[in-house]
Amino acid sequence: MVSFDITAFIDYVKPIAPHLILIVAALLAPAIGSRSEKMTAVFMTLAALSAIGVTAYMMYDGYTGTFAGMYSFNDFAGLMALLFLTVLSITSLMSVPGTERRRRNGEYFSLLAIATVGMMLVCSADELISLFIGIELASIMSFALVAMKKNDPRSSEAAVKYLITGGLSTALFIYGMSLIYGLTGTLNISGIIDHLAAADVTWSYMIATVTLLAGFGFKIGMVPFHAWVPDVYDGAPTPVTTFLAIGSKKMGFVVFFKIFLMLFMASHLITGTTHQLQWVFAILAAITMTVGNIVAVSQTSVKRMLAYSSIAQAGYILIVLPVATDYAMMGGLFYMIAHVFMKGGAFVVVAALAARGVGENISDYRGLSKRAPLLAFAMLLFLFSLAGIPPLVGFDAKFILFSSALEGGTWTWLVAVAVINSAISLYYYAKVVKAMYVDKGTTKDRLKIHFSFKVAVAVCAVAVVVIGVFPGPIIDLCGLGADAFLHP
Amino acid sequence: MIPIELFILLSAMLFSVGLIGMLTKKNAIVILMCIEIMLNAANINFIAFAATYPAAPLAHIFVITAITVAAAEVGVGIAILLHAYKTRKTTNIDELTSLRW
Repeated sequence: MVSFDITAFIDYVKPIAPHLILIVAALLAPAIGSRSEKMTAVFMTLAALSAIGVTAYMMYDGYTGTFAGMYSFNDFAGLMALLFLTVLSITSLMSVPGTERRRRNGEYFSLLAIATVGMMLVCSADELISLFIGIELASIMSFALVAMKKNDPRSSEAAVKYLITGGLSTALFIYGMSLIYGLTGTLNISGIIDHLAAADVTWSYMIATVTLLAGFGFKIGMVPFHAWVPDVYDGAPTPVTTFLAIGSKKMGFVVFFKIFLMLFMASHLITGTTHQLQWVFAILAAITMTVGNIVAVSQTSVKRMLAYSSIAQAGYILIVLPVATDYAMMGGLFYMIAHVFMKGGAFVVVAALAARGVGENISDYRGLSKRAPLLAFAMLLFLFSLAGIPPLVGFDAKFILFSSALEGGTWTWLVAVAVINSAISLYYYAKVVKAMYVDKGTTKDRLKIHFSFKVAVAVCAVAVVVIGVFPGPIIDLCGLGADAFLHP
Repeated sequence: MIPIELFILLSAMLFSVGLIGMLTKKNAIVILMCIEIMLNAANINFIAFAATYPAAPLAHIFVITAITVAAAEVGVGIAILLHAYKTRKTTNIDELTSLRW
């Protein structure tokens, strides 16, 4: 007679409880999807919200624990899980029927949920095997999601490009991981830190660094590994674009922080010297934000412009790596949370308009303030927040991140580049606002926006304004997350 | 015993073959095969290093995981290429140019 102790089982799986909720939801989604797609969207949103509830409760409880020695739940993992679950709920809300996908497909929501699980696993991974599984879970699901627009050649072309760059990135970073294993003999991240702190810079160390940098650079769209970003974001269905821009990219950053901030820099931060890699990252950050912003100026499609602007935003978040202090890490986490709402909101508006037959070019947005006044106003909030205009959340995020870089005085030039870039970005965001509010449109018909889009836009707009005016609680949360991440 | 340098040299060569093939070939299916070659280069590295660190079978676990994941990736990849062939009638990446800045 095998006895089964339910409380012991619950204690055992508690660190991955939010993940389990999503996995169960993903398994159920196709069954519900065969009845009604609207129901599946609601079901997946509710599943994400209940997982948010569980995660929030665990964080409130101050719970920390490890699962099978591979995954751990702490304030950092909890905070990032909340972020990814928010992304999942926004994406599910905007994936209502009658937009860009065809047929009743519950599997679409399953793929979304599983990809989210992968991202959450990355955040709680303690060692390279679990990190690898998480990354691949998220990226393989994303390949399929990009191709979801049936019978659209642009969608399948984007999927092929994403598949090839994704595969190359996997091959590069797994080769780097194998060299790291060869150098240290362990796959545990804290074990690797101890070993590498004492290691000399050898050829294999250099090759490992370069391959890891290139492999993960593809994931976050860092220049010069950014060429796939605009193509994939443009070709994919807009909900999937949103998911990639505000979800997948954050996962890439978490990996970057885990690998580089912890592996290569942690030891040098203790001794207080500047690691050469910090200069590499500073230069890459400056190039990434400049290229993203300058190319975005010449774009005519709103979706493509937002894609380039998300390359530029990746450049801003990269500032965390050269600065590498607790304050900068906190700023980086806050920026990622802010980015979810402002960039997510902007994409939701694009999707809501596309669902009513408004094109994706800036010229199609002419006279929008007459046709859909509330939606146009929300778009204005999101764009100004992305440009960093107070009192919106984008300003707070940029302020914290840039002021963290000013401490110590080494990275003042990087802040100067970032501020000039923010000014450039205001130009192309203002172009869209001008089209919406100043230019005369061809028609004055009111647009009827689907209810679920209204909910998603409202959530994002409220978050952008409220967090912008009262950033205190979120900053405290990010401070806890940064502390749990850097001082485990 | 065969020195470990030979294994690492083999894996470096395989990795280079995959990378060069990936950059020069035009057919998307061949590119997918090149990616697989690069993944296998990493696997050889892991197994070669595992002989140096016999304490725990970590590398073997990683390799088995990596093989499984690579199989899943190829499965999804071939499906996407089939889908692309249905809609575009080509798997030549030089002809996939409708998305351009």
